[in-house]
Amino acid sequence: MTKLASVYKTDYVQSLDQHSQTNLNSSWVNFKGAWMTNLILIAFLKFAFNIIPGITPEVSWTLTTLVYNVGSYIMFHAVTGVPFEFTQGAYDGITLWEQIDGGIQFTATRKYLTTVPVVLFLLSTHYTHYAPFAFIINFTATVINLIAKLPAMHQVRLFDINQKVGGTTD
Amino acid sequence: MDNPVLYAINSTFSTIAQSIQAVPGSGIAVNYIKNSYQNDPFRVVLELGLAIYAVKYMLSKKYRIDQNDVQLTEKEIDELIAEWQPEPLVQTLSDIQRMELEKTQVIIGAQGPKPKVQSSGKNLLNLASTNYLGYITNEDLKQTAIETLHKYGVGSCGPPGFYGTLDVHIELEKNIARYLGTESAIIYAQGFSTIASVISAFAKRGDIIVVDDGSNFAIQKGTQISRSNIKWFKHNDMADLERVLESIRVESLAHKKRPLTRRFIVTEGLFQNYGDIAPLNKIMELKHKYKYRVILDESNSFGVLGKTGRGLTELFNVPAKDVDMIVGSMANTLSAAGGFCAGPKEVVDHQRLSGQAFVFSASIPAMLTVCASEAINILSTPQGEKLLQSLQDNAATFRAVILGASQWIELSSVAGSPILHLRFPQAALTTAGVHTRDEEKMLLQEIVDEVAIKDGVLITRAKYVDRQEMHLPRVSIRVSICATHTKKEVEKAAQAVKTAFGKALSRRK
Repeated sequence: MTKLASVYKTDYVQSLDQHSQTNLNSSWVNFKGAWMTNLILIAFLKFAFNIIPGITPEVSWTLTTLVYNVGSYIMFHAVTGVPFEFTQGAYDGITLWEQIDGGIQFTATRKYLTTVPVVLFLLSTHYTHYAPFAFIINFTATVINLIAKLPAMHQVRLFDINQKVGGTTD
Repeated sequence: MDNPVLYAINSTFSTIAQSIQAVPGSGIAVNYIKNSYQNDPFRVVLELGLAIYAVKYMLSKKYRIDQNDVQLTEKEIDELIAEWQPEPLVQTLSDIQRMELEKTQVIIGAQGPKPKVQSSGKNLLNLASTNYLGYITNEDLKQTAIETLHKYGVGSCGPPGFYGTLDVHIELEKNIARYLGTESAIIYAQGFSTIASVISAFAKRGDIIVVDDGSNFAIQKGTQISRSNIKWFKHNDMADLERVLESIRVESLAHKKRPLTRRFIVTEGLFQNYGDIAPLNKIMELKHKYKYRVILDESNSFGVLGKTGRGLTELFNVPAKDVDMIVGSMANTLSAAGGFCAGPKEVVDHQRLSGQAFVFSASIPAMLTVCASEAINILSTPQGEKLLQSLQDNAATFRAVILGASQWIELSSVAGSPILHLRFPQAALTTAGVHTRDEEKMLLQEIVDEVAIKDGVLITRAKYVDRQEMHLPRVSIRVSICATHTKKEVEKAAQAVKTAFGKALSRRK
């Protein structure tokens, strides 16, 4: 039976495992170097798209926004779990965004990562001279990315994507 | 009157315009805002909405999602602090706890089949230690131990992964694997934590473990720290095990299956709390039918059951390679220390990095390793077979005497088991007016004291961590038979225990 949306709450005793050690999978997002790398990657994407022969600035800005939003969505909201195993599967069904700072909302990193797509969107609509088609593409990509970062969407799974199996205690 | 007002408004606006122009980069911003309208108010509203959302997000306070602590006001906190009284650092002991402390026997000198106790200075017949084959006082083992001590020294000074592995450890692992008939084996430093470490190395959240509810404390803790879904089945009840396995199968048909759910059946060979033996052949049948893996805890049955002491697999004629993991202890019969896990090569190699007790504890001292190796070698010689036979004979003798008094002693062990749990039948207790667990404990303690003083027999009650056991067994006296006692001594001890049981009951009536 596919549900439209399902919400999971973490039991207190089960969550003791998660907070006993630093989550090395998600602690790197707090480093200032990571923030700078984020911006450098966006610049790099823009340069890469500029190099393609015959490309107009409008298309390259649109592609940059699109690729950045899709890529960061996959990295933060689609992939679950951690690549190493010392906590008896404590982070098994949890995405990187939900792991950041142990689930605390509105921390500095989350604010930064929410602001970057918004600023990128505003810049790219400006440089595409507000063309409607480009605007629609940019807007949809940015809004989907931002909805995934809402506090109301913490540990919420839509349309059975990344659905946690019944019986997982987390 | 208009002129001064208009003049004031005009001058305010021009001051603001000048100050904005003074800010560096203001030209870009103003240009951006001028360009951005583009005759499309709908789009401007969307963009403005997004910008306002970003600003609101930036200004929000952080909070925890699952904060269900009660928020107290400052006044309430102060009140609570003012009325707080510190508890004593050491709580006063209850009657039972004081009794436990006073009545615990202290052994002076070496452990053995007839140790000297501090309370009376006499030598008592030891029916309390898990010294099943009498290896504690075996002269060959003692000689080997002394030689090893001279060669290797006392400790191993490190975890096995960090320069703590000696050649004798590798030899013992090969020895155990060869003796049991599995592919390889791994050694842990403490027998109690071995099974807990093995279970948590392979099971995690989302996995399913089916456990016998008479399992010992170490298995319970192991399943608890593995954080898996635990399902209990009634002690040694194969019909109940099948019911549980079937219910899991039906349940998992309804839900979408996680790709790699591991399923385990955990049981003991010779149960420490009940003294009976798990029916391994029936368990293997169910395992093959429902596709589970079996973890067999042979802490008390390795070196004890079977013709050459290979454990449950020999007793039931099951090839050891069929059982996925055989976990045993070298601290009981083999009179050394530590435990082992024997199985296929991948299973054992995985534990070298994920077995918490292996990675984070120092390895066994060389002396004990060599003793365990020697003890296993003795098991396959005629001397070892003789010891195993006399262990069975002594157990049978003790059992026969005790079964003669079945009106007031309940025996929960099976024939062939050297662990015997003696309990009062429930009916006899109610007629004697004993209703609570503590009263039963006191009653059994009277028996223990009496046989220690009058008949020179050292027995013990089975002790549990009452508040943490999942299925707390009834209070009992646990007798561990030793192979090196003579038949006469065992008979005399059994008679003494039998009369003490009868007398304790009649005293209460």
